[in-house]
Amino acid sequence: MARATGGRRASSRRLSTARVGFSLPALLWYGLFMIGPLVAMFVISTLDWGGFLATPEAAGLANYRKVFADEDFWTAARNSILQLVVVLPIMLPTSFMLGYFLTLRRRGHGALRIIFFTPALISLAALGAVFYAVFQPQGLLNAGLTSVGLRSLATPWLANDTTALPAIMLVNLWSGIGFTAILFSTRLASVPGEVYEAASLDGCGHWRTMWLIAYPIIKGYFGVLSMLQFLWVLFASAGLILILTRGGPGTSSTTLAYLMYDKAFVESEIGYSQAVGVVLFAIGLVGMLVIRRTFRDQT
Amino acid sequence: MSTDRGRTPRSGNRALLALSHSAAWLYAAALLLPLYYLIVSSFKDNLSVLDTPFALPTSVTLGNFAKAFDDAQLGPGLANSALVALGAAALTIVLAVPAAYGIVTSPGRLGQVLEGIFSAGFLIPGFAALVPTVLLAIALNQFQTRQFLVAFLPSTALPLSVVLLVQFMRAIPRELEESAAMDGASRLKILTAIYLPLVMPGVVTVTILNLINFWNEYLFALILNGPDPEIRTAQVALPTLISATSTDYAVLAAGVLITLLPIYLAYAVASRRMEQALLQGALKG
Repeated sequence: MARATGGRRASSRRLSTARVGFSLPALLWYGLFMIGPLVAMFVISTLDWGGFLATPEAAGLANYRKVFADEDFWTAARNSILQLVVVLPIMLPTSFMLGYFLTLRRRGHGALRIIFFTPALISLAALGAVFYAVFQPQGLLNAGLTSVGLRSLATPWLANDTTALPAIMLVNLWSGIGFTAILFSTRLASVPGEVYEAASLDGCGHWRTMWLIAYPIIKGYFGVLSMLQFLWVLFASAGLILILTRGGPGTSSTTLAYLMYDKAFVESEIGYSQAVGVVLFAIGLVGMLVIRRTFRDQT
Repeated sequence: MSTDRGRTPRSGNRALLALSHSAAWLYAAALLLPLYYLIVSSFKDNLSVLDTPFALPTSVTLGNFAKAFDDAQLGPGLANSALVALGAAALTIVLAVPAAYGIVTSPGRLGQVLEGIFSAGFLIPGFAALVPTVLLAIALNQFQTRQFLVAFLPSTALPLSVVLLVQFMRAIPRELEESAAMDGASRLKILTAIYLPLVMPGVVTVTILNLINFWNEYLFALILNGPDPEIRTAQVALPTLISATSTDYAVLAAGVLITLLPIYLAYAVASRRMEQALLQGALKG
């Protein structure tokens, strides 16, 4: 650029000033449909609003006081945290190990890859419908338990308040592990082969190669996938709960995301719902920061 | 691996490999079993779905598919899904390609700041803003219309689409643009005649990714587009086959297969491209 002629420089400057304009429509769209509603959530959480057609009134922090005094909120918070601390520590290490196994390219790895990939294409509604059938009293799970002599374990999974939430978590794991494993294997495939060869020459078994050599190299990526699944479990499973249990029996499978949905669209307590939304947003932010710190690359 | 202490690494290794091999196939079986159940159930009657869930169907009839199609009114549902997914994916490209062009060609820090704004979008879960989005739709007098869903969905896809397209555009040498500008080409002309053809692979990847996500969208489609059979999408129509007291599981299974069919057909035709799109999508997430 320094050696460009005067005419060239002028034309390229003229070009550059208006180029930003090309980004404006997308920026406006994004502001209107994403940032705007997000900001509005904070405002609505301070309003007393009894339904979408009612007139809202200022309520200060009354919604928050109500939320924090509500037993259902604490049940939902407990369920959300339980869901996270059970699902994530199982899903991520398992996916990482399966991903490592895939990169070894043992016999049948191509077939495994295709099978692991299938849940990524299934919609939440289809997933819900399939597992609604699997978990019903005469469904696949109970039939399977009966056929291997574990009939005593059979139960109406979605209608039993001790098994409803675990059933949801099982679906999270069923649909999440395979695709996450493929993602890990794609990332691991970019680790240079010499690294593994050197480890093998030093007498490192696969277990040590996996955790002491491969894991530190892709630690940052482990963090990225943790965040992805963290957000997915925290927010997106609300749709699954809506189809499978509607938060029940009682409140036994109500999570914070489902509570936010339920209060707004079933019970018409919009201010309350958005106060939960703000709490949920804060949990999401804190969780992401914690994950980021934990998995920061040391290099 | 304390159990391996004392053994040679080689035998420990072999045991570990055998274990991982079984674990991987066990999980694969766990993935396939519900899908097997889904397929065989769709050809049975409700009674044999309940009595003999593992058995193969005794006859092959398409009755369940016809009933699911009628009961959930999947005809209009699938048409609406296609309309919404295609419309929203097209709109996303119309917005994201110029945005990426602006970011790549803006001088100095401006481009970085713009890219940062879109990247920050990864941290915003769209679901958090569901209720205010409903209020926006009501305020615009567009609540429970397909066009609002088409207008809304791109905002959920813009961060990823823009960031992916930026990466594709960065690979284009800037000299191309400068020489075109010398020849008097307008910026719009440079975008459509030089950049767009060169980033077509990126446009295809982003569009595949968005089509899958828009086709599969459930909660926003349920709330923003609503349950009216004439305008609801297939994903919203499907769960209506579930009833607390009298679900016909054979019909439900057939309904699930109908809504999965378009995606898996597309996958059979373009599996490599779809895998790449989903992998790249998640990589940036």
